[in-house]
Amino acid sequence: MSFSVMLEQLAQGMCKSMLIFGLTLLFSMPLGLLVCFGRMSKNRLVSGIFGFFISVLRGTPLMLQLMVVYFFPYYLFGISIGNWRFPAIIVGFSINYAAYFAEIYRSGIEAIPKGQYEAAQILDYSKSQTFFKIVFPQVIKIILPAVTNEIITLVKDTSLAFSLAYMEMFTIAKQIAARDTTFVPYIVAALFYYIFNLLVAFVMRQFEKKLSYYN
Amino acid sequence: MKLFKKLALGALAVGMMATVFTGCGKKDSKTFTVGFDAEYPPYGYMDENGDYTGFDLELAEEVCKLKGWTLVKQPIAWDNKDNELNSGSIDCIWNGFTINGREDDYEWSVPYVDNSQVIVVKADSGITSLSDLAGKTVGVQAASAALDVLTDEEGQKALGDSFGKLQEFGDYNTAFAELMAGSVDAIAMDIGVAMYQIEGRGDEFVILAEHLNAEQYGIGFKKGNTELKDEVESALRELKKNGKFDELAEKYGLSDMVCFE
Amino acid sequence: MYYLEMNDVKKSFGDLEVLKGISLTVSEGEVVSIIGPSGSGKSTLLRIATLLETMDVGNLAYMGQYAVTMEDRHSVYAKTSQLKEIKKNFGLVFQSFNLFPHKSVLHNIIDAPIFVQKRKKAEVIEEAKELLRQMGLEDKADYYPCQLSGGQQQRIAIARALALKPKVLFFDEPTSALDPELTGEVLKVIKGLAEQKMTMVIVTHEMSFAKNISDRVIFMDKGVVAASGTPEEVFNSDNARMQEFLGKLKND
Repeated sequence: MSFSVMLEQLAQGMCKSMLIFGLTLLFSMPLGLLVCFGRMSKNRLVSGIFGFFISVLRGTPLMLQLMVVYFFPYYLFGISIGNWRFPAIIVGFSINYAAYFAEIYRSGIEAIPKGQYEAAQILDYSKSQTFFKIVFPQVIKIILPAVTNEIITLVKDTSLAFSLAYMEMFTIAKQIAARDTTFVPYIVAALFYYIFNLLVAFVMRQFEKKLSYYN
Repeated sequence: MKLFKKLALGALAVGMMATVFTGCGKKDSKTFTVGFDAEYPPYGYMDENGDYTGFDLELAEEVCKLKGWTLVKQPIAWDNKDNELNSGSIDCIWNGFTINGREDDYEWSVPYVDNSQVIVVKADSGITSLSDLAGKTVGVQAASAALDVLTDEEGQKALGDSFGKLQEFGDYNTAFAELMAGSVDAIAMDIGVAMYQIEGRGDEFVILAEHLNAEQYGIGFKKGNTELKDEVESALRELKKNGKFDELAEKYGLSDMVCFE
Repeated sequence: MYYLEMNDVKKSFGDLEVLKGISLTVSEGEVVSIIGPSGSGKSTLLRIATLLETMDVGNLAYMGQYAVTMEDRHSVYAKTSQLKEIKKNFGLVFQSFNLFPHKSVLHNIIDAPIFVQKRKKAEVIEEAKELLRQMGLEDKADYYPCQLSGGQQQRIAIARALALKPKVLFFDEPTSALDPELTGEVLKVIKGLAEQKMTMVIVTHEMSFAKNISDRVIFMDKGVVAASGTPEEVFNSDNARMQEFLGKLKND
């Protein structure tokens, strides 16, 4: 295979990797907030259930979770959905990352001083106003470095979609490597991941700069 | 708040852009979904244009032409092949798929290729027979027929046990890299695959004259799915009759191995 | 009608009885200072009056509306909707300011009137600028709290509380977190409010300030009101605890 065809193939795979990346962020960040609320619930049963959910998702390999999501409708209920590879990957990634984001949010929310809540209460802010106008904007600043870490990890984790043979960049790199009996596609893929992550780190640094207007 | 909105918008934009990129979603007539390991030349692999091809996939294409079906080439992770087949995300496994040892696990088509499991070693390794492998480290693909042979009582378990270590690996690239580096002394694999690999890598490697065993390739359908099996099989016979089958075998250098009358 | 009225308020944290039956009334335009040693319960009383803390026994009313009533020897709180109405009557200035660090000075002041009281933005901004002038901080509208000194921050916090136009304004040790050289500017602002006949309840350690500014002083000790009256009456009383407290302060 010529080098240009290989680049084209890997670039196509990169698009799919970015698709997994984008959709996972889109779904897992809000979902993580819900999970975080569940985890921080005053109801001990609710917080226990969400705590268990988080510990399972953080404590088992993502690759395994992807397989479970994809194959379980069949093995558990005998339902044959057919080829829903891509949705299954997005579901698997989203719930896994939601668990991590939930804990990051929690750490941020717990770092907000009690006085902020009391000031909001005295000023008659409602509970949701207090959260979205006072607490959450401050939480974002606190958790940004941790979120950046998580996002960079996600870029690399998209390669785990190979376990469901989704044609993202790493899967394609493996196939080209098999065809041409060489390691070159892996090196190119590594370069692609690295450049994408440089971009991610740059964007996140801009966010951090934007939020540096207060201490 | 503004920042939160921007974050969400950014994620949305990335998502939508990417959706445009993929823009797939064809669903018409009857589809025939073949599951294959895209890292298994010459039976199924990526060609120089990035399309999936190979002896088995071209055969499947011809079958679909005859039947008026739409072929879907679905690469799978080989370790997951049974899950893929059982859950219905593929219709069959057609990819240099060894029957021997798996007779009762699938609804098998007639065997169409005679295949042997062989040992590949470095040309200068000094290993010339199976007995030379005693105490050596031998690589074998996980969940492969070669592994089955080396661990099956009725196969070559005795030989397998004589090895110093049986090292499982995921793909052949890794295996050959390890062979080059000397961390494995030999690799067990299908002869068709071995010939392809050696052609690509030059004469540093040789196939031992002594084979592990002889076995046959078939198309594996889900247990009980005789209807689809019969349809594909009859189409295959027609391809044999009109010469297409032999033409393809010739193209992929497999003529000597065909066992289908 | 009293602006604030609370009767026989009792509060325990576990086995520790912090308030042992406190009654307090505040009339329109009155400035009441609450003094007393640490642990006397004055801050708890303030937190109960501002509904940050609940009481076990007693009642509480603003402008004759009951937020807490006594039923069968226990306090019963009004419905949330009623409490929401009643809360409009008071504001609180915290010891540690509790400004919102991510918002500019102007937004710290105008956000609650706009989002909570749903008032017109232009009008609120005008009032906020007037408040900042009053605080001597008219040039700081676009600053962030972290760029200001403690004294400036506390004055912003006072402006923030005033922007909601409370009937009663509480101060919880407003100068305790400040360097000594910065307390003056905050006390001056509070004095100005007193001159404008703002109804205020101030928990403070600044004795001379309390003496100067207050219509009434309440000396709390060990969960009870040990002495109360005009500043002269309280500071000159022969209450032993009061004398001991004042003596300690002098020695410090």
